[in-house]
Amino acid sequence: MINFHPTSTQLQRFAEGNLPPSEALVVSAHCDMCTQCMAVVKAASEKVAAEALSKVSNDPSLDAILANIVQQPVAERPSISVPSIDTIELDGREFKVPRALRRYVRKTGNWSSLVGKLWQAPVDLGDMGMANFIYMEKGGRVPEHTHKGSEYTLVINGEFSDGIADYDSGDFISLDGEHTHAPMSDADEGCLVFSIVDKPLHFTSGLARLLNPFSHLFFK
Amino acid sequence: MLVGIPLESKEARPSRPIDCAEEMSSYLVEVASDRSKVAFAKIFSYFAPRLRSYALKQMGNEALAMELVQDTMSNVWQKAHLFNAEKGSPSTWIFTIARNIRFDMLRKLQNRKEDVCADDLWPVLCEQTADANETSLEEQVTLEQLGHLFDALPVKQRVVIEAIYIDGKSQQEVADELEIPLGTVKSRTRLALQRLKDMIQEHD
Repeated sequence: MINFHPTSTQLQRFAEGNLPPSEALVVSAHCDMCTQCMAVVKAASEKVAAEALSKVSNDPSLDAILANIVQQPVAERPSISVPSIDTIELDGREFKVPRALRRYVRKTGNWSSLVGKLWQAPVDLGDMGMANFIYMEKGGRVPEHTHKGSEYTLVINGEFSDGIADYDSGDFISLDGEHTHAPMSDADEGCLVFSIVDKPLHFTSGLARLLNPFSHLFFK
Repeated sequence: MLVGIPLESKEARPSRPIDCAEEMSSYLVEVASDRSKVAFAKIFSYFAPRLRSYALKQMGNEALAMELVQDTMSNVWQKAHLFNAEKGSPSTWIFTIARNIRFDMLRKLQNRKEDVCADDLWPVLCEQTADANETSLEEQVTLEQLGHLFDALPVKQRVVIEAIYIDGKSQQEVADELEIPLGTVKSRTRLALQRLKDMIQEHD
């Protein structure tokens, strides 16, 4: 069951089209998994639309635009739609990826083993930064860390805990420098998450502190 | 008695409802099925001035605003068949097209690479074929590889780093244990970290 959702402000700004892209991507993917938030966004979009289109600003040049548009030939509709890849594979297991993230499956690099029972596949989002699919096997743990920037995470499949709360498939988690957490999964099935951070993580304990000088190479 | 404020006063100034949803829906159906220019002209004369008002406010520039209006209405002309009255009103549909185009225009203005497109975030005009250009990713340094680099450190340095970072010992404890001066522990730590950093940069 989904217990963690974007805030109503995040959903409102998402409907307006005013959420920063990386945040919007995770919110969008969450809505793919959460009928409740999908409905909120739909209702918000209707309201925003009514407001946005309530005023009229006429201009003679609009006539030329109309004439121009109706002269356009009918665009060809693609006759064959290439099915987009909607699953991501790790170790023989296939995970269904929410619609919003499907485009990025093709931009996802190979899985690599991190510390312990942790796997990571980087997703190149260009100037939006680096996202990662992260898979925690049962008992897998991300070293305790805090954030210099923001971290948006969506649980795609499975359950994990981080010392702040317990999360389940579909949960949306938004963290910043005020939070220190150490995600780990105790679920037999492990846990697959999609996570975007805009600045390197800052590890706060043990061996992982060794990573700090290099953390920009990993979790970003 | 207090002066009553009607409860609905909060909603007293609703944004002007687009009252002609049904009419506009039927025009969209005509555009989709018959490429009716007459029907499109009706949709255009109703929505284009409204879009212009929205666009001027959002883009703050006449030329960009007109581009937004043109692109939005052009999509309405081309993709009317994707409109589904059961999913929402024509005004919501047309607004969401405009919102998506605005999003992409703003990204473009900031010289952003096309790493995210609005239709992924808000699937309004879903009929795209899959993105064919696969990007091959540069090899990333993994923690595993860091492990290899770590193994490449001189044994004396590695022992110190392991004791401090893996076993969590203090530099003094390490010095006592290895029976070496504290200053030596400090310099080995510093040299090892520097070396790891250099190796990673070479690796990049």
